[in-house]
Amino acid sequence: MEAIARALDSDLAYRFRRSPVAMLAALVVVLLIGSSVFAPLITSQNPFDPGSLNLMNGFSEPMQPNQFTGETFVLGTDDQGRDVFATILYGMRISLFVGFSAVIFAMVLGVTLGLLSGYVGGRTDTIIMRIADIQLTFPAILVALLIFGVAKGITPPDRRDEVAIWVLIIAIGLSEWVQFARVVRGATLVEKSKEYVQAARLIGRSPVAIMVRHILPNTLSPVLVIATISLALAIIAEATLSFLGVGAPPTQPSLGTLIRIGQEFLFSGEWWILFFPAMTLLALALSVNLLGDWLRDALNPKLR
Amino acid sequence: MLAFIIRRVLQSVVVLLVVGLVAFSLFRFVGDPVDNLLGQERTIEDIDRVRSELGLDQPFPVQYFRFLQGVTQGNFGVSFRQGRPVADILAERAPATLELAAVSALFAIVLGITLGVYTAIRRDGWLSNFIMTSSLIGVSLPTFLIGILLIYVFAVELGWLPSFGRGETVQIGWWTTGLLTESGLKAIILPAITLGLYQMTLIMRLVRAEMLEVLRSDYVKFARARGLSQRSVYFRHALKNTLVPVITITGLQLGSIIAFAIITETVFQWPGVGLLFINSIQFVDIPVMASYLMLISVMFVVINLIVDLLYFAIDPRLSASRGGGH
Amino acid sequence: MNKHTILVAAALALGAGTAHAETFKWAAQTDPQTMDPHAVNSAPVLGFLNNVYEGLVRRGKDMSVEPALAESWEPLGGNGWRFNLRRGVTFHDGAAFTADDVLFSYERASSEAADTASWFAPVSDVTVVDDFTIDFLTIAPNPIFPDSIANFMIMDKGWAEANGVELPAKDAENFATLNANGTAAFRLAERQPGLTTVLEPFEGWWGEVEHNITRAEFTPVQNSATAVAALLSGEVDMINPVPVQDAGRVAERDGVGVITGIEARVIMFGFAHQAETIKYSDDAGEPNPFRDARVRKAVAHAINVDAILQTIMRGAAEPASQLVSPAMRGYTPALAERPAYDPDAARALLAEAGHPDGFSFGLKCPNDRYLNDESVCQAAVSMLAQIGLRAELDAMPVRTYWPELREDNFDMYLLGWSPGTFDAEHPIRFLAATPNEEKRLGSWNFGDFSNARVDELLPMIQSEIDDAARQTMLDEVAGILQDEQAYVPLYVQPLIWGVRDGIELTQRPDNFFILRWVTVNE
Repeated sequence: MEAIARALDSDLAYRFRRSPVAMLAALVVVLLIGSSVFAPLITSQNPFDPGSLNLMNGFSEPMQPNQFTGETFVLGTDDQGRDVFATILYGMRISLFVGFSAVIFAMVLGVTLGLLSGYVGGRTDTIIMRIADIQLTFPAILVALLIFGVAKGITPPDRRDEVAIWVLIIAIGLSEWVQFARVVRGATLVEKSKEYVQAARLIGRSPVAIMVRHILPNTLSPVLVIATISLALAIIAEATLSFLGVGAPPTQPSLGTLIRIGQEFLFSGEWWILFFPAMTLLALALSVNLLGDWLRDALNPKLR
Repeated sequence: MLAFIIRRVLQSVVVLLVVGLVAFSLFRFVGDPVDNLLGQERTIEDIDRVRSELGLDQPFPVQYFRFLQGVTQGNFGVSFRQGRPVADILAERAPATLELAAVSALFAIVLGITLGVYTAIRRDGWLSNFIMTSSLIGVSLPTFLIGILLIYVFAVELGWLPSFGRGETVQIGWWTTGLLTESGLKAIILPAITLGLYQMTLIMRLVRAEMLEVLRSDYVKFARARGLSQRSVYFRHALKNTLVPVITITGLQLGSIIAFAIITETVFQWPGVGLLFINSIQFVDIPVMASYLMLISVMFVVINLIVDLLYFAIDPRLSASRGGGH
Repeated sequence: MNKHTILVAAALALGAGTAHAETFKWAAQTDPQTMDPHAVNSAPVLGFLNNVYEGLVRRGKDMSVEPALAESWEPLGGNGWRFNLRRGVTFHDGAAFTADDVLFSYERASSEAADTASWFAPVSDVTVVDDFTIDFLTIAPNPIFPDSIANFMIMDKGWAEANGVELPAKDAENFATLNANGTAAFRLAERQPGLTTVLEPFEGWWGEVEHNITRAEFTPVQNSATAVAALLSGEVDMINPVPVQDAGRVAERDGVGVITGIEARVIMFGFAHQAETIKYSDDAGEPNPFRDARVRKAVAHAINVDAILQTIMRGAAEPASQLVSPAMRGYTPALAERPAYDPDAARALLAEAGHPDGFSFGLKCPNDRYLNDESVCQAAVSMLAQIGLRAELDAMPVRTYWPELREDNFDMYLLGWSPGTFDAEHPIRFLAATPNEEKRLGSWNFGDFSNARVDELLPMIQSEIDDAARQTMLDEVAGILQDEQAYVPLYVQPLIWGVRDGIELTQRPDNFFILRWVTVNE
């Protein structure tokens, strides 16, 4: 197993070195993730600390001193006097956290159900696939709205602030697990009929062991591709949900919340409040998508 | 075959019932419709009265049962906010959404296939690479932002196209169409692009991938060897073979175009069912929300069913024991 | 819907160039959900229907009450008012207007099924004296009764009976939901709920015509950015509202302008006055400091209203010191000063109240109700943080906001109040009186503020006929509310409408858009 993984790795690494687009995309992703992780070292302002904000700094233009306070901000400030640069770095943390968590959640859920569905078959398969149908019926927006409502209803009042992020993760994760489940189920159906699986079954290996040791590794490359593309989708979905008002709270804005706030100032001339967060989102999602694209080609031997 | 169909239809009905049940049990968390129905001078008494008038004081299984009872008789209930039958409201709004979905699907298919074929034929050309990369930009920005940017550029700054609504509509029977007036045609351009962009990218990439695969097949190599022209090879043989998966995927996507028109309709104030749904969330108009969800569910279930039946018809090896999925 | 049937060929021939010089198109955020003037008591409905239906009295350009369907009125010897009705008025369908229609409309509007019944709570009886005289008898002397029924609209009895709409319908559709038959300057020509509503001038109107509109089309546009785009691109002639942040740009732009005014709505913070403990944040379960007036005063001193007005509201709003704005009847000029922005004084007050290090609590805020409500709350959070009050902000849409407030789920909250009667008595009745369901008092006093003297003065104010004596009592209440800091009034919300150049119109402080004051110049 490890040998195979190593071989795959080195093959991938070789193809990676030969693709300038993939390298550039990876560089951007690493740069963005790094700068958000190390945000406190990069900027002095913590935009999530309300006590440190001065409202009179609001609407400062990039690189121009504020008319009341005389302070200058590289990328300007928003309506609350928050430094847009610092807010983007901190906001990206939330977007990335939501994105990664949602994809991991969707992946674990989808792969497990897909394996079960494909391997066990019969009634289990029917039920899981019907649930997938139901899931597809609910637009992610609605899932989020409903989960949000339920979460508000059942969490203790003084803990609701922290709930919003988890609601996003669950809502986005739930809307993306079906993809994983279908692919894994398909691959499982194919693998199940192969001789080595039959053999493993005959010598009495437990179904769980067969699924995890034999079938799962064979589904990994499509899962990896879907996961990458899902990450981009999740980051965008987070932005859309924030636009509809069920996203991260404005006191701790994500990139999506920043864009929602910024678009209110599109006509009023304060372009920077929208422009910089939108560009950051674009750079992040585009790079992840390019990586996913490259990965799909690289892992698909037929396209070589 | 018949047993399979019957079983699938029964399963679909169960799916619909579950959708309804889940939706109803969660509606009470969306908010309270009462405040939107009463003015500033309402008393606590008024609130209780309206709540019992609307049946909101009943436990949700009762509310759900009543709703189902109505639906089986073709009665979707009465909108809390407008005080009119939901069926009428949906019928008024459906043409707008269906026209938008159709136009954006057309846009996605035509442009998607054209660009897909082009990028497959000129696999390593700079224009192909440019198209492939820039198409990702379209799917790397949230739909609402693309819509707002299109409005800003084409409606506000350039003044070429309207920023909202459907323009003038013409009534044909119970159907209203915006496709027969100049203002209606202008109005549909920006929303259709916004809604179709994602699907266009998807179709383009799918066509490209399928084309590349087919072009590498022995069958095409053989056609080439026979001395057929490039054009004939590409369009007669290669493209034809890519269309089956493209049609399947497009069919599946049509459902999601309608479901996800919600955001586009909100940004462009397009008077379709998606906007109606968003407004009904805002006003906690439960009968409208429930009916919309049921309709969308029916649509997905029907599309799923058709796809399954098609698979079944094409490939008899998929015996009736096969549960579903694709 | 069937009214909209146009032949395909005709529509094609007409094309886009059909816009007549005097066709007026406007957009606002909410569609009036019904055309029935008694079914819903909400500003979008009443504001719109003021163009179609008329009341006995109406409000003029300066909000003063003026004759409409009643030519004059006088107090009766006992308790009540006599209205002398206008002669020769007809409804849009040609029926004549008489006292019977007023009596019918009163019965309809005060019925159980009507949402406007609370206007008639003080009324004990209505008697028709003759065809053009009608008496409204009240339980006690009621000086502001004529003012309070400016939105009570008169419907034709015969029309209502013929169409089976003797009562407003709330949970079902009826004829009056989609059709209208009033006496006002415009008649309803076309109604597509949520899409467009078209009005046309009524030739037989009794009044003097000031407008030059031949057709008026209303479209609801919920997203205000979309509405601004529609105005800038010339698709509509007027929008309400223009978001405060866009007002500057719209004003600068060629071909369009803004009309700004002060709305009657005062935005304020409210507190949990009776709750034993803090309900939100890390300090949940600790004793509730907002029961102490000094803490509430500290909040008032900590909030820099000028900074909020200068940045978030872009200089468009005025600071407020009372529950009503200076434009309202019964305002107290002597108490016009609001607590100065003074963080040191605020900290001193907190220390005096036993909270030298501050405390944390939950702040509830709507995010789709008032202009920039969420931003204002956010700014307040950072200002309060500077005196050690750590507010945990929870902003939500109104559909969940009011239920939360009703269930007392707050430590501090944001509220806006627009007095329907344009009188200082109104907020006292709803916001300051001790909540009492039976007497219908304090129904929006979520924090249960309670002051015996205020409760004692309210009924006296309500029945005092002498203006000077009434004002003295209103001044006393305003003083108590300020001393107790029952609420922290912040500012009076601005009204900002966007209009195309060449349109003349009048903006009324209640945000009602009156079509008969519009002229379109090319």
